Amino acid sequence: MSFVVARDLSRTFNLSDPWIVRKLTMRPKRLLKAVDAVNFEIERGTTYALVGESGSGKSTIANMVVGLLAPSAGSITIDGQNLGDASMSRQEQQRLRRRIQMVFQSPYASLNPRWRVGDILSEPMRAFKLIDGATAQRKRVAQLLEQVGLSDSDASKFPHEFSGGQRQRISIARALASQPEVIICDEPTSALDVSVQAQVLNLLKSLQKEFGLTYLFITHDLAVVSTMANKIGVLNQGVLVEEQDTEDLFTTPREDYTKMLLSSAPKIDFDS
Amino acid sequence: MRRFLNSDFFYAFTRSPLAIVSLLVVVLMVLSAILANFIAPTNPFDAASLNLMNGFTAPMEPNMFTGETFLLGTDDQGRDLFSAILFGLRVSLFVGVMAVGLAMVLGVLLGLIAGYLGGWLDTLIMRLADIQMTFPSILIAMLIFGVARGLLPAELREEMAITVLILSIGLSEWVTFARTVRGSTMVEKEKEYVSAARLIGLNPWQIMLRHILPNVLGPVLVIATITLALAIIAEATLSFLGVGAPRTEPSLGTLIRVGQDFLFSGEWWILLFPALTLLALALSVNLFGDWLRDTLNPRLR
Amino acid sequence: MTETLLELKGLEVTFTTRRGTLKAVDDLSLTVKRGEILGIVGESGAGKSMTGAAIIGLIDPPGRVSNGEIWFEQQRVDKNPESMRGRQVSMVFQDPLTSLNPLRTVGDQLVETILAHMDVTKAEALQRARDGLTEVGIDPDRINAYPHAFSGGMRQRVVIALALATEPQLVIADEPTTALDVSVQAQVLDLLKKLCRERGTSVILITHDMGVIAQTSDRIAVMYAGRLAEIGETREVLTNPQHPYTQGLMASTPSVDAKSFGQELFQIPGAMPKLDALPSGCAFNPRCSQAHARCQTDRPPILADRAACWLMENAS
Repeated sequence: MSFVVARDLSRTFNLSDPWIVRKLTMRPKRLLKAVDAVNFEIERGTTYALVGESGSGKSTIANMVVGLLAPSAGSITIDGQNLGDASMSRQEQQRLRRRIQMVFQSPYASLNPRWRVGDILSEPMRAFKLIDGATAQRKRVAQLLEQVGLSDSDASKFPHEFSGGQRQRISIARALASQPEVIICDEPTSALDVSVQAQVLNLLKSLQKEFGLTYLFITHDLAVVSTMANKIGVLNQGVLVEEQDTEDLFTTPREDYTKMLLSSAPKIDFDS
Repeated sequence: MRRFLNSDFFYAFTRSPLAIVSLLVVVLMVLSAILANFIAPTNPFDAASLNLMNGFTAPMEPNMFTGETFLLGTDDQGRDLFSAILFGLRVSLFVGVMAVGLAMVLGVLLGLIAGYLGGWLDTLIMRLADIQMTFPSILIAMLIFGVARGLLPAELREEMAITVLILSIGLSEWVTFARTVRGSTMVEKEKEYVSAARLIGLNPWQIMLRHILPNVLGPVLVIATITLALAIIAEATLSFLGVGAPRTEPSLGTLIRVGQDFLFSGEWWILLFPALTLLALALSVNLFGDWLRDTLNPRLR
Repeated sequence: MTETLLELKGLEVTFTTRRGTLKAVDDLSLTVKRGEILGIVGESGAGKSMTGAAIIGLIDPPGRVSNGEIWFEQQRVDKNPESMRGRQVSMVFQDPLTSLNPLRTVGDQLVETILAHMDVTKAEALQRARDGLTEVGIDPDRINAYPHAFSGGMRQRVVIALALATEPQLVIADEPTTALDVSVQAQVLDLLKKLCRERGTSVILITHDMGVIAQTSDRIAVMYAGRLAEIGETREVLTNPQHPYTQGLMASTPSVDAKSFGQELFQIPGAMPKLDALPSGCAFNPRCSQAHARCQTDRPPILADRAACWLMENAS
């Protein structure tokens, strides 16, 4: 069985007015099916990319996989353990949480502006009781900062003292602090400049190699995943329309929607 | 400290004469209230030191019987008005600061809960706030004051008067804090750093207090300053109406109430000086609060 | 077609703060010919949006155009920015909602703009508004709809109709498609390009996206830290970049083809310097793999009409 398995994953949002307003205006409930019976599997140590435009449900899936949002139907299992298993004790829940972390889209909103970088990075260690003692935590923070290409003196700074790319590195270091096995990357470079984007993508890749991480990569940009993903799933309005190995998807897309996405991506190509 | 001196905030402060002057007045008043024991020439509430012969001495004029001179004159019982004002300032400021503190703690907590947890708790808290907003806060304070007095045994009333005053003003001013904090909490909780905190399994209280609270405190500081001016005036109003600080522990409002009895008999100073002090205090706190608001958060305007 | 419409000579935009004066745009010279689409590309903080704002006279204090000249149709306009706006030059912003009033119908806004800038009757203005909507591919019967009734891509079409309604000579489009999905982005870009070509309108397209520039513009100006790094024909610059920064940008842009699968992307080390901490000499020298001693002391001018890089000296 694959490391991460999503089975018939669905999520419906209730956009209805409050009950009393509905009765007064005699309008029916308004339900939005953001994700509709999506299936995918991710092998350990590989990268699976979910690609879609706005409203495709890709971020909803990301939030369900990390457990921030409960699925309306279907299930997610990580290493055989069902994420939505209500019989889990708090300890078991924490153990499972530790293994799944996330890197967010916005380099500005994803770090608490009032916290020093050192505190941001040591919080997961305390929450998961990974490392005891201030000295040991400081050492680990320094190690994490170094792993993402920052220096240990950065631990005493506040997030606003860093550029967008550096903040994204801090965000990655925070995810690593939990010693996770799966990292969900939700558009981690869409707010970054091209040259910095390349730095962050390369960093993610080398960390994957070093720690055997499994990535679920959420993006709207096919070009970004061409270098990152082993397998790509294309989402359109909550439905997984196509799934192929990266190379095959780019050379022989099957669905019209995928072809449209590929052809409308801006190309720097003067031969044709 | 060096970070503060280098900040844009401090720079803006040094460039604003209004802010400097108003803060200076506030600091001066707070210091003289705290040090009243040492500054005041007499203890105005030590009945033994009062000399009825000194009654109604005009400012800077020697008393016709005793020949003593008082900077701001005396009241009907020969009490030195300057000393009375210093001690009155102390009561007014104490009540104001404590009441704002109470309103702030209550409002911030309720605002955090309403904004972060949402649902029926949010509805309950905010409807309560709506109801309270439909009454003038001075009425609420009087209501609470009246109920508390009714519940207290007679012998405790005098003793508890200040506490009751603080409670009644504090409970009538929490709404502004709660509304503002709820609003900023609802913005903050959508940010990804809160998601990150949820991902490591923190409970709602840890997220509210450790993560969200520091990020919603900016506007709270501004509101606290502006509310302080309101609370000082509310205290003075209550005391003026005779339902506030007792005569044994008079605040500026009590002094004004006492003073107005003598206004038309020509002893104008007994009213004027406490009133001017109250005006200067409330005005400078308010001006400083306005400046804080404009500097820290122009959107609150 | 080769007549010069707009010329910037040594444009400098500065912001005075208490910590000193920052140059957001530094000694920028370039020309836009009639009917030409000039792309200005650069990363955030490169000064590209500031350049657009300076041309249309939209820089607010504490910023100001502190040096240089802006010439439009052989007239100097930097002393009198109001003369530029409206009929001559119009602007398309990234977020269509900032250019549209949410409380008024798109028709109202179109008619109002046309009446304000052109000598026509109300009926003519309405007809022009309907034609404008038709041109951008919107059913003219939706003229009485409010902006919120349109999707993001449709709204940006309305903004383009609004920008072209007064028949301007120059359209400045600042990241016009950044907020849109790729499929919509391509349509909006094609539309902008087609309409401007038909009318002979010049366009300054400001973007961070090399792909967008490649598909749309005739010439391209690459900016770095407020300065012009490289300028030239789009095809020339993108296929044969001369400035090491442009080379780095091109190499680090991932592309939609299977060739790049699994490969490490080229990365430029470091980040763009902050404006208050610019290195001496060439602003790019700390990140440049080909920098030599002179790059650290002397700022290179544009050499061989192409790139501000000392490496060009031997070539010219």
